[in-house]
Amino acid sequence: MTSIFIAVAVLTLLALVFGVILGFASKKFKVEGNPVVDQVEALLPQTQCGQCGYPGCRPYAEAIANGDHINKCPPGGTATMEKIAELMGVDEEPLNAQAQSAVKKVAYIREDECIGCTKCIQACPVDAILGAGKLMHTVIAKDCTGCDLCVEPCPVDCIDMIPVETTIQNWDWKLNTIPVKVIHSEQEETAC
Amino acid sequence: MLTLLEQLDKGVLWQSPGGIHPPQFKTLSNQSAIARLPLAKRFVVPVPLVGEQATLTVSVGDTVLKGQVLTEGSGFTYLPVHAPTSGKIVAIEQHATNHPSSLPTLSCIIESDGQDTWCELTTSNLAQLSKAEILGKIKQAGIAGMGGAAFPSHVKLNPASEIDLVIINGIECEPYITSDDRLMRDHSDEIIAGVAIIHHLLSPQRIIIAIEDNKPEAAHAMKAAISRSSLPQDMVRVTVIPTKYPSGGEKQLIQIITGKEVPSGAIPAQLGIVVHNVGTAYAIQDAIYHGKPLIERVVTLTGEHIGHPGNYWIPIGTTVADTLQSVSFTTSIDQKVIVGGPMMGYALADLDVPILKGTNCLLVPSPNEIAPDVDEKACIRCGECAVACPALLLPQQLFWHSKAQEYDKAASFNLKDCIECGCCSYVCPSDIPLVEYYRVAKSALKTAAEEKRQAEQAKIRFEARLKRLEDEKNAREAKAKEAAAKRQANMKASDKDAVAAAMARIAAKKAQTESHVNSEEASSSVAPTAADPKKAAVNAAIERAKAKKAAQANTSSVPVATNNAEDDKKAMIAAAVARAKAKKAAQETNATSPQESEPTTVTAIDDKQARVAAAVAKAKAKKAAQETSTTSSQESEPTTVTAIDDKQARVALAVAKAKAKKAAQEASTTSPQESEPTTVTAIDDKQARVALAVAKAKAKKASQEASTTSPQESEPTTVTAIDDKQARVALTVAKAKAKKAALQHVTQQDDAGLASPIADTATLNELHILPTENKLAEQPADCSDQKPGADLSPEQIKKAKVAAAIAKAKAKKLAQNAEQEEQ
Repeated sequence: MTSIFIAVAVLTLLALVFGVILGFASKKFKVEGNPVVDQVEALLPQTQCGQCGYPGCRPYAEAIANGDHINKCPPGGTATMEKIAELMGVDEEPLNAQAQSAVKKVAYIREDECIGCTKCIQACPVDAILGAGKLMHTVIAKDCTGCDLCVEPCPVDCIDMIPVETTIQNWDWKLNTIPVKVIHSEQEETAC
Repeated sequence: MLTLLEQLDKGVLWQSPGGIHPPQFKTLSNQSAIARLPLAKRFVVPVPLVGEQATLTVSVGDTVLKGQVLTEGSGFTYLPVHAPTSGKIVAIEQHATNHPSSLPTLSCIIESDGQDTWCELTTSNLAQLSKAEILGKIKQAGIAGMGGAAFPSHVKLNPASEIDLVIINGIECEPYITSDDRLMRDHSDEIIAGVAIIHHLLSPQRIIIAIEDNKPEAAHAMKAAISRSSLPQDMVRVTVIPTKYPSGGEKQLIQIITGKEVPSGAIPAQLGIVVHNVGTAYAIQDAIYHGKPLIERVVTLTGEHIGHPGNYWIPIGTTVADTLQSVSFTTSIDQKVIVGGPMMGYALADLDVPILKGTNCLLVPSPNEIAPDVDEKACIRCGECAVACPALLLPQQLFWHSKAQEYDKAASFNLKDCIECGCCSYVCPSDIPLVEYYRVAKSALKTAAEEKRQAEQAKIRFEARLKRLEDEKNAREAKAKEAAAKRQANMKASDKDAVAAAMARIAAKKAQTESHVNSEEASSSVAPTAADPKKAAVNAAIERAKAKKAAQANTSSVPVATNNAEDDKKAMIAAAVARAKAKKAAQETNATSPQESEPTTVTAIDDKQARVAAAVAKAKAKKAAQETSTTSSQESEPTTVTAIDDKQARVALAVAKAKAKKAAQEASTTSPQESEPTTVTAIDDKQARVALAVAKAKAKKASQEASTTSPQESEPTTVTAIDDKQARVALTVAKAKAKKAALQHVTQQDDAGLASPIADTATLNELHILPTENKLAEQPADCSDQKPGADLSPEQIKKAKVAAAIAKAKAKKLAQNAEQEEQ
């Protein structure tokens, strides 16, 4: 009989001790915010285009962490979606937006036609358009994320999305660029 | 245990890992001294830094001399570009460059004049120059590493840390290349002079000239040159090392000479070592002692398809095609031209590319020199590549991950330390082009890193923007709050005053009424005279308004819209006549002399005359009114009267316009019931357009009238300007209405199933309006300027353009809407 009491007492004591430890740990080592959000955000392309329906990449990352669909990011494309699927441990979903070409684009304002309405400036999420009221505007190409948001508000349709030109700096080496092979073994013999 | 310096002096060598012994083909090209080729006609000098770090100092059509600098710029790694010969710049354009991609880059195309005239060269004495001056001269000469990487030499000659050992690289381990070999044989003294300059700049403890043992003549020549030179003999030595590929790699060479391994991601300077190519040493002495910039280099032209293989001084910018032509090269099917050696070089996609500072060899092999392309087979994990790798990497692991596109895993196997020497590909029994896989993986990693950096940047900018918007909002709120507080404060202060003032006003009014009653009889004789002109003006206005209304009634009752213009005209004339008459009446009441204008007004047929007459009459009436009022009493204000008149007239006009519009609209909305839908649309559009034009014309006329009636007032132009604006606003509104009418029509048609073609026509029609509108808008504007014959000012054109743009935008939106509804 006493052994039962002892067992209950010991277990109660243990429960209390661990309860105190856990309670202390939850206070002491509390993590602010959801760390998954940061990981998801790191995968998103940071175009801040809002095509996902959220005002920027971080809000969408938060939504994904809360269980939203992972297929709402057209700029990131399938590659980003796959990475998020892997991170979140969910199934891959086809992109719900229209098939986005993988070509990176930047906005270009046809400056002769710009009437200086500043509407595109207000639409740009990364402040990459320069200009003032009734004066010509222009896009700072290196800061443009190619998010497309400035095209719609333009009243005179003078903004084009043009693909980024391939230069020597951003050229990708492709397989079989150099179809050069090593010297034939027969030569080796004759030379040696 | 010997110290490192002692070991260096003894010529102790260390083993470098891996490496291969490919067959040597150096004798093909190293038998003859360095020769020159006939000067080419055309040179392509790439100026890739223009737009980033540099600007061009020449323009198309300029004549340049040999050695003249073409760019100027700033930045630590900036190098100027020089003209390789004298001649004329015929173009500055995008031209394919000497790069595996053959992508175009900005280049100066120079047409040689055949004279090859040098620009002025400044020779100098080493002893008179400071180190900074020497470095400046080296930079100005545009000297880049001649070994192939073309890194700016002045950077390597100005290291942050102290340099103990300088290695002059004369290894040249690629099987075909002999340019350094020949340079050392033919110009050993010059190279040693360059080494002396490097010694002066870096003051190292030892300088080692490293040469492979397959170049005994070169080693001999260099040793002789050292003994001839004034350099301290005990600190400069030639070290001959065994032939092995790739001993010429910077890190491999350091390992062989000193036994030290350059850590991953570090540069040799961190070990106190700097490696320079022999060609660089030659170029440095040329720049300092002769003032010559780097505009030519020794290039090995070799391969069995070259008629006269050998080494040649070739001006930088000579195209590969020109070079090969002058050494009589033959071509075969699927001929490859390889830049660099067979191990590390790349095949050119286009022969019209220039020779660059780092181009040390052009290899044109015959088919039996180069193995035919074989299909890659599966990796058998034999491990040969790992044995051959001089960087001690695991090539088959790198290949595995690169092929699977798991680039981050490849990166974790230190892909970035791969020197792309090609040893692994050479030994691979499965013929896998391993280096190509690594290059693809490297560029993918580079792109990913760049994308990440850009995303980071975008995020920062996005956050900055959010903060800015937040700040602006807060500032606005604070301002509003402040203003509200101020208002409240003011109100509190003036509250009592306001009450007092109100009380005083009431009292004064009471007093006034009493006094007024008393003096009524006295002032009655003056009052009618004062009231007279006012009354006359009011009457005139009423009459005018009636005339307008009549005209409008006329217009709206006529259903056929093509008559509109005519009707409007008639109405306008009527209005003008009525107005004139009203004026006359007013004048008569005022007892002035209007008889002169009477006959003209009556006989006036065209509305212009009528308008002028009316204007004159009005003006007179005004004058009279003014006179009367000034003489009779101070109470009446003539300007106000005029202003009121103008306003009324304008209001009347606006009403008329609106009605005309409505009529047009009605016509267009009702017409769909009629037979042929498309034609009807067209007609409707036309009607709308006509109505619009009329309305516009009226608006303009009103503004004109206003300006003509107001000559007595001080600033006629201001008035006109304001009127113009109003007129334009009215115009835009009218346009918008016309659009809406057209749209309504279109939507109705859509239901009938005839949607898209009509929508198209409508848009088209609307777009067609544009030029007409522009013209109409410009013409009256011209008139209202009161400068007959004067051209349109640019401002007006701009305004018209803006209006056109807006109209265009609206048309677009309408078309879009129509399409959407259709869907």
